[in-house]
Amino acid sequence: MEEAHEVPPHIRLGLSRQRLISGLRTMIASRETDDRLWLLNRQGRAHFVVTPAGHEATQLGCAWAIRVGHDYVVPYYRDMTLVMALGQSILDILLHAMARRDDPSSGGRQMFGHFSSRRLRIVSGSSSVGSHLVHVAGIALAFRVKGEQDIAVMGLFGEGATAEGAWHEGLTVAGIYQLPAVFVCENNQYAISVPVNKEVPVPNVATKAAGYGMHGVVVDGNDVFAVYEAAHQAMERARNGGGPTLLECKTYRLRPHTSADDDRRYRKSEEVEAWRARDPIKRFEHYLVEHGIITHDEIEAMRREVRAEVDAATDAALAAPWPSIESIADHVYG
Amino acid sequence: MPVMTFLEAIRSAMHDAMAADDRIIVLGEDVAVRGGVFLATEGLLARFGERRVIDMPIAECAIVGVAIGAAIHGLLPIAEIQFADYIYPAIDQILNEAARLRYRSNGDWSCPIVVRAPFGAGIHGALYHSQSVERLFTSTPGIKVVIPSTPADAKGLLIAAIHDPDPVIFFEHKQLYRSVRGEVPEGIYHEPIGKAVVRRSGADMSVFSYGLMVHYALTAAEQLAAEGIDAEVIDLRTLAPLDRAAILASVEKTGRALIVHEDVLTGGIGGEIAAIIAEHAFEYLDAPVRRLASPDLFAAPFADPLEDHFMLNPQKIAAAMRDLARY
Ligand SMILES: Cc1ncc(C[n+]2csc(CCOP(=O)(O)OP(=O)(O)O)c2C)c(N)n1
Ligand SMILES: [Mg+2]
Repeated sequence: MEEAHEVPPHIRLGLSRQRLISGLRTMIASRETDDRLWLLNRQGRAHFVVTPAGHEATQLGCAWAIRVGHDYVVPYYRDMTLVMALGQSILDILLHAMARRDDPSSGGRQMFGHFSSRRLRIVSGSSSVGSHLVHVAGIALAFRVKGEQDIAVMGLFGEGATAEGAWHEGLTVAGIYQLPAVFVCENNQYAISVPVNKEVPVPNVATKAAGYGMHGVVVDGNDVFAVYEAAHQAMERARNGGGPTLLECKTYRLRPHTSADDDRRYRKSEEVEAWRARDPIKRFEHYLVEHGIITHDEIEAMRREVRAEVDAATDAALAAPWPSIESIADHVYG
Repeated sequence: MPVMTFLEAIRSAMHDAMAADDRIIVLGEDVAVRGGVFLATEGLLARFGERRVIDMPIAECAIVGVAIGAAIHGLLPIAEIQFADYIYPAIDQILNEAARLRYRSNGDWSCPIVVRAPFGAGIHGALYHSQSVERLFTSTPGIKVVIPSTPADAKGLLIAAIHDPDPVIFFEHKQLYRSVRGEVPEGIYHEPIGKAVVRRSGADMSVFSYGLMVHYALTAAEQLAAEGIDAEVIDLRTLAPLDRAAILASVEKTGRALIVHEDVLTGGIGGEIAAIIAEHAFEYLDAPVRRLASPDLFAAPFADPLEDHFMLNPQKIAAAMRDLARY
């Protein structure tokens, strides 16, 4: 927490009460939806879950820095909180997880976590780790070619992705042409089981920025204000012709990698518990209560409301139609 | 109609298409200042500027991946891979990203890029400057694979590829660049992707080919005509999607089929064509379907006798045709 004499970050950053409260609602909706997805998975009704739990502050802070439907976002599979903050509803998420016809991300074609919406300028990705950072550079190059100013693209990835060739190539091009792109590393310190010191040869991923001629910034990824401040600065710099940024958000995932993982095989429960105590949602709630933005009772009421929405969306998604067999070969070619 | 080399036709396609539509950009290694190592993009920088003609670092995955990103935001990029032999780092981008973007987003996004790559042997390029790699791209849906053989087709098919709503891999045989000339229409026109053409009509056998091998097959067919064998030569032009109707129509007429390609025998498109004929035109056949292809090796070795042995030529094709006619 900041010193008493300092201006509280939400005031300094000009975040309105309404924005803070809707942000909290997004975080809670994300966590409640994630809880539900794990439950549905255990019940055999959702084949696959990939969790954003623990990454909520990183993703909300980044989402706040994006002008929705204007700037482009190229997410990865962990970014459920991000896409919810950008406008995908709880029902949208559940339809995607249940692979229903009306899944807005892929019409039931991609496994969970492959978020997409042309309307929101959220770009569809594959499962191939790191393969999307070259697309980030390409989108940013297209702004340049078209003479568009005041626009930027944000690409997100885990620290494990930074070992991939495609990651290196994307940042190389963005750096050479000083493109309006922001590369956000959600460093949760593991690539499935492999710890960060076996994925990244330097203590901070952001150090690599120097090699690409871009700004490198490290923030506490569990502090939504720190993330927003850095992401906003980076996006503004990109929009104003100041070049790309590699922003590293240090965080931790509070659940196994996916529903197919058992994280007890590679990390100690004490470590997980220590990070659970630093849960970014609790931290944000605490801040908002302390600064008189919201009360505990209001938060509890919000949580109940969100749960009711998750219940309704679960029922709706389970009752929603499957894609038709006849549609299996649609959209191979235009 | 102006007469152009194959290379000039390629350049003219990019030039005319770019002049008509400022969404079209060119990117690749050495494409801007130098005009490409084969000079396919010569003059484009001066005419269209560095915003639209972009020198890229030696990063093939990025050359294709950046093209994909630019297409996502509404451009029509032409990515050049300097030699087909170096397309491998871009394969993940081509097959996992470009080919699948439309399908995986249920039609929400699309990927109208062209990937141009010079390919083929016979120019002393050895193992890493003479490969034929088309077989790696013909079994993934979502992309189209085009290989022209004449200047007029090179221009019309390349413009069609640029305007195509889906990713097109466009292979240009290096030996054709300067050795083949022909009349080429001025301005914008399309040759249809997915349609084969009959280059020589004949009654006794069908020879299916593409790229440089079409020219060799035509030379061989003339030799055989003098011997009383009347061969039909079909230029496939597009390997994906294959023009099945044209293949079957020709075999139904002639009853004999030979497929000729510079790509290796095993896994080359000839196997697929043979299977199509066996499945759908068996009762028309008077002889087994034959394939003539490069040996199952990596590419033409550097040593002259080895390169000569590796490469097909009109004599080898004529021999295979004679053999088939005699069956
Ligand atoms: C190219 C590729 N290799 C391997 C995998 C399998 N895989 C999926 S996620 C993952 C770990 C990625 O870790 P990181 O980038 O740190 O992201 P995190 O999951 O920790 O958020 C691996 C190895 C993959 N999807 N793509
Ligand atoms: Mg990680």
